[in-house]
Amino acid sequence: MMLKKVLIFALFYPVCIVSAQQIIYKAADIAPELKNRANAVIRNMETVVDMKAPDEVILTVKEVLTVLNKNGEEKAGQVLFYNKNSIIRGVKGAIYDEEGKLIKKFSQSDFTDESAISSFSLYEDDRVKHFNPNMVNYPYTIVYEYEIRNKQNLLIPEWYATPYSDVSVEKSSYLFLCKPDVKLNIKAYNFQGQPSETKDQKSQSYYWEVKQIPAFKPEPYAPNPDEYRIHVKIAPQDFIYYSSKGSYNNWEELGKWIYTDLVSKKQNTSPEMAEKVKELIDGLSDPKEKARRIYSYVQQKTRYISVQIGLGGFQPMPAMEVDRLGYGDCKALVSYTQCLLRLADVPSYYCIVFAGSRKRSLDKNFASMDQANHVILCLPFKTDTTWLECTSQTSPFGFLGDFTDDRLVLACTENGGKILQTPILSAEKNLTQRSAELFVDENGNVKGKLNTSFKGAQYDNYEQLIAESPEEQLKSLKRLYDLDNINFSNVKFNQLKTEDPQTTESFDLVIKNYVPQTQSRSYLVLNAFNKMNAAPDVMNRKRPLYIGRGYSEEDYLTYSLPSNYKIEAGPQEINLASEFGTYHMKMTQTGNKISYTRKFTLKSGSYPAEKYRDFSDFILQVNRNDYTKVVFNLN
Amino acid sequence: MKKIFFFIIPFLFYTNCLHAQDFEFGKISVEDIQIKHAKTDSNANAIVLKEFGTASIQIEDNYGYSYVDYKYHVRIKILNKNGFEHGNIQIPLWRYTDRDDEITELTACTFSPSDGIMVRTDLDNKQIFLENRSKYLNVKKFAMPNLKEGSIIEYSYTLNKKNIFNFVTWEFQSPIPKIQSEFIAMIPAIYNFNASIRGFLKLTSQNAEISRECLRIQGSKIDCSRLSYIMKDIPAFIEESYMTAATNFRSAIYFELSDVQHLNGGKNNITKTWKDVDYELKNEKSFGGQMKRKDAFKEILPEILKDQPDELSKAKAIYAYIKKNIRWNRYYGKYGENAIKKSLETHSGNIGDINLALIAALSSAGLDAEALVLSTRENGIISDLYPVISNFNYVIAKINIADKSYLLDASEPLLPFGLLPLRCMNERGRVISLTKPSYWYDIKANQKDINRYTFTGSLSSEGKITGHLITYSSGYSAFNKRKKIEEAGSAELYAEKLNEQMPGLRILHHQISNIDSLDNPLVEDYEIEMKSQYDMKAGQIYFNPFFIDKTSKNPFNLNERTYPVDLGAAKEDRVTILLKIPDNFQLADHPKNLAIALAQNGGKYLTDVSFNDGVLNFTQLFQLNKALYGPDEYLSLKELFSRMIQQQKTDVILKKAI
Repeated sequence: MMLKKVLIFALFYPVCIVSAQQIIYKAADIAPELKNRANAVIRNMETVVDMKAPDEVILTVKEVLTVLNKNGEEKAGQVLFYNKNSIIRGVKGAIYDEEGKLIKKFSQSDFTDESAISSFSLYEDDRVKHFNPNMVNYPYTIVYEYEIRNKQNLLIPEWYATPYSDVSVEKSSYLFLCKPDVKLNIKAYNFQGQPSETKDQKSQSYYWEVKQIPAFKPEPYAPNPDEYRIHVKIAPQDFIYYSSKGSYNNWEELGKWIYTDLVSKKQNTSPEMAEKVKELIDGLSDPKEKARRIYSYVQQKTRYISVQIGLGGFQPMPAMEVDRLGYGDCKALVSYTQCLLRLADVPSYYCIVFAGSRKRSLDKNFASMDQANHVILCLPFKTDTTWLECTSQTSPFGFLGDFTDDRLVLACTENGGKILQTPILSAEKNLTQRSAELFVDENGNVKGKLNTSFKGAQYDNYEQLIAESPEEQLKSLKRLYDLDNINFSNVKFNQLKTEDPQTTESFDLVIKNYVPQTQSRSYLVLNAFNKMNAAPDVMNRKRPLYIGRGYSEEDYLTYSLPSNYKIEAGPQEINLASEFGTYHMKMTQTGNKISYTRKFTLKSGSYPAEKYRDFSDFILQVNRNDYTKVVFNLN
Repeated sequence: MKKIFFFIIPFLFYTNCLHAQDFEFGKISVEDIQIKHAKTDSNANAIVLKEFGTASIQIEDNYGYSYVDYKYHVRIKILNKNGFEHGNIQIPLWRYTDRDDEITELTACTFSPSDGIMVRTDLDNKQIFLENRSKYLNVKKFAMPNLKEGSIIEYSYTLNKKNIFNFVTWEFQSPIPKIQSEFIAMIPAIYNFNASIRGFLKLTSQNAEISRECLRIQGSKIDCSRLSYIMKDIPAFIEESYMTAATNFRSAIYFELSDVQHLNGGKNNITKTWKDVDYELKNEKSFGGQMKRKDAFKEILPEILKDQPDELSKAKAIYAYIKKNIRWNRYYGKYGENAIKKSLETHSGNIGDINLALIAALSSAGLDAEALVLSTRENGIISDLYPVISNFNYVIAKINIADKSYLLDASEPLLPFGLLPLRCMNERGRVISLTKPSYWYDIKANQKDINRYTFTGSLSSEGKITGHLITYSSGYSAFNKRKKIEEAGSAELYAEKLNEQMPGLRILHHQISNIDSLDNPLVEDYEIEMKSQYDMKAGQIYFNPFFIDKTSKNPFNLNERTYPVDLGAAKEDRVTILLKIPDNFQLADHPKNLAIALAQNGGKYLTDVSFNDGVLNFTQLFQLNKALYGPDEYLSLKELFSRMIQQQKTDVILKKAI
């Protein structure tokens, strides 16, 4: 048996049996272009996934890495995750000096074992084994070999050719093997060319290889790295996961499996729940009103607690248990809300999504189980589609915010999965409007009132702050309006919880010595509260420019001045227009009063790398103008 | 009557123990339900209604080891949704080589308001999780069911603590306020513990009495001291920035075992006097044993010391060698984990391994080296009442050369000789010498945190500034910059990053020297080009001379301060600008020449502008002369920064001569 395997390998990939130790990896052999911006170099990495059976998927990795300096030390360590569904085996390695001479060997017993529970979870069954080589002389070369046996094939480890920006690659390869009759869905991203494929009576195989990939500099305002990194996803059609089995070739089939095999099985409801729903919707006929009432009940009753064990990583806990315990994770809370809505005859979809402020859509052309990390609920009403975030006790009904806005999600239903798009929060919608009436006295102290409203993605900027105690709120406001000597009183917040929600903030403020004086002049920075930071000035920009979410700001400030303040110098009206957005600034004077207006809009969008220079110039002009001073002559 | 009596004479021994006992589980009162906020803190999200704990030392029947039997019971009211986090409970269980802490009993329930009544939901055993976090720690975790605003949660557990050395640390103060917290320690007469109370709050009552025959060992009955402590109306503990360890200020009782009396009459002193501690540390294999391991260096010393003429240069060479050859594994400790040979071989060790090896090597070279044990800033300040040895969590080397002493920590490769990492700067430590009795030693930064900037350049009539900026940094500033250079990968990449971070200013040329020469100031020399910020009116140039080392935000922006401000080291920043002005321009206005100082030479801020022969001469000096400022000095510190920020908003105005 063993012999046969080796023979197959030997036949097609002779390189695989040349063990890493036989080649001497000298640090001096690394090409200079691979050392540029690199802290470590992958000399050779061979990743093999051998799917012998759906419940026997063996990942074998051999990695030879040369660490160039201390900053590469982090990459020299090895971190291996495992759980009840996987076993780590045959971990071993060795460390070689600059010349390729053996320094020492190590094995699995040198690894530290710890639990690997995410910060947001109460409990998960994932664990981690990790190892650090602790070398003090650079460069050196470290070799790892390990094997992870997975008892499932729903999640095939995704292969990344270049795992980090500061690690260059001499050679890295990925070989996927399985039985000839197994049906696979494969997608390679950003890979030039085709994999080499073989098929005979005993096996089929796919092989990707990359060479000479230099390290690169991480750049600001860049797109999601997955958009330019080389990676390969493989999803077998027929799969086993813990006690479950299934089959899918597209999102429609996967969505159906998620709903029927995972979700619906946990959706039994009790007579008490039905009774409660009846009571809640009593007298209501509009399904949307019913849903609003039920959502509010769920928000009152539950809180977010994450526990992920085994299949529970993908399967919600029973709705009746949520009802009894009053908590659950995103899956459990969405499933529970769906059950209550169903009891009120309001249809809804259980939708999986990749959540996060940085937008990421499911790949609509390639279905796999590893693309989502969150669940939300979609209510397909006749005239509109309403979305619910069920893990929040405070979100307005029908508002998702920037955690799940504007991306493709999968609605899982008994009739199959359907790709849907969540609502877009446009630059116009994400509006902050601020107005202040301020008075300057002879000593340069400023007093006045300020009002601000936040809409769209800005709506929940203050979610955390509103929950704080008044003293903590004052401290937080000092961080947000970080002006020397600023003090607040009469602080009020108000939230309008509609589907286009709005948060308003108002307070009285005093800023001692805001307008300092010299012998005969005084200086006023007009834009007291809202200055744009400059964008870094990147030379030789490589990646496209990406602005994920646009926004708009309007500031209207007035300053009433002492009578002896005569303007000596002040800004002109500024109107900037670029493809990235617009900026308007104007100062007008009437009597002893100055009015300052600032309007800024940044649009979302993707632009070629060459445009970055224009973008940073535009932002620099905004930044410069935001710091504009008025100089008064006091004589 | 009795209560008042004992309040006045708290240490009287007394045998009636009826007055202090645990409250009944699950029996919530009308007051519990009605309470809406804490007296001490009207804004709390949750409040501890009652908290009761007892701890006693027991002997395990079968194996005969001693353990702490700790019972904890608490009732918490959740006042609003933000208090829900207090319904997620984590109990750490430490693991030792032969046995682990265990929870033997755990009961928990929630009372939640529902239609005017309080409904009880018990915690389901299936919802209790045990996380095996590492080989040192397990964590018991559960989330209280059915939480609502106004819910009352209650839980109690019995914890079998396998390490009796620190008995139980009882924290009266927590992030939420408490109405009452009571703790009873039952200590058998054969054990002696040093108890210390920290924090500003006063106990409402405390009591000590004898409890007869509380423990039975090998047939003998032993009496116990029964120490009880009650604190009422305890405010929440809230941390502030620039503060050393919270444990210095949080109200709590700490215990440390001092001696054990054996039944056969022998006595085993654990810690008692400094003399005992000295003896113990010197004879402890992982401490004194390491200090004495001179032979470990016999072979390599000649190579290290080659061409080093005097004691100081020898010490520096050894310091450099240890820094390079044992990398810190990120664990603290006053004891070594490995033998010195192994640390040198694996190039890895904890603080004890690194610095005890340093001491051994220094001694081996014939230098006068001692160990200094200390407590890091986040670990808290050392009490001088008793030698509480477990409060020390760190060791460094003290070397005496001629009449000078240097403190050395070889765990940070970028630190110069004699400068300690900020984490060590915590008042004082105890010097343990192999030849002398131990003694206290003040830990003070021996180097100021210094930055000197000199800019020499010229201004064109179009408002363009070009010139050389030279910066000298030493102390922590140099350390932090060297770290950044290391992170960037090279001086080139560091300069590139600087260039990117300052749009509007271009670095045309850079030269950074002394990057590796740690005992000298780091010198950065940049040729720069920038635009003067303002040219709003024809014929005038507005130039802000504070473009170097500008402070735009006040680090002390709050209105009051409860705890001291600890900066770690004194600080000095000096800026000098010599700017050649175009011929036809003259000085029209400039920032006021300013000189302000804190009381008692605590710090100062000076600026000065002068104009001679077409050259503008600007200087700025900012000094903070102390590392530690009391809460009463907070507002003056704030004002000093504030005056600096105001000053930095004003410009030099240059006018075209007509």
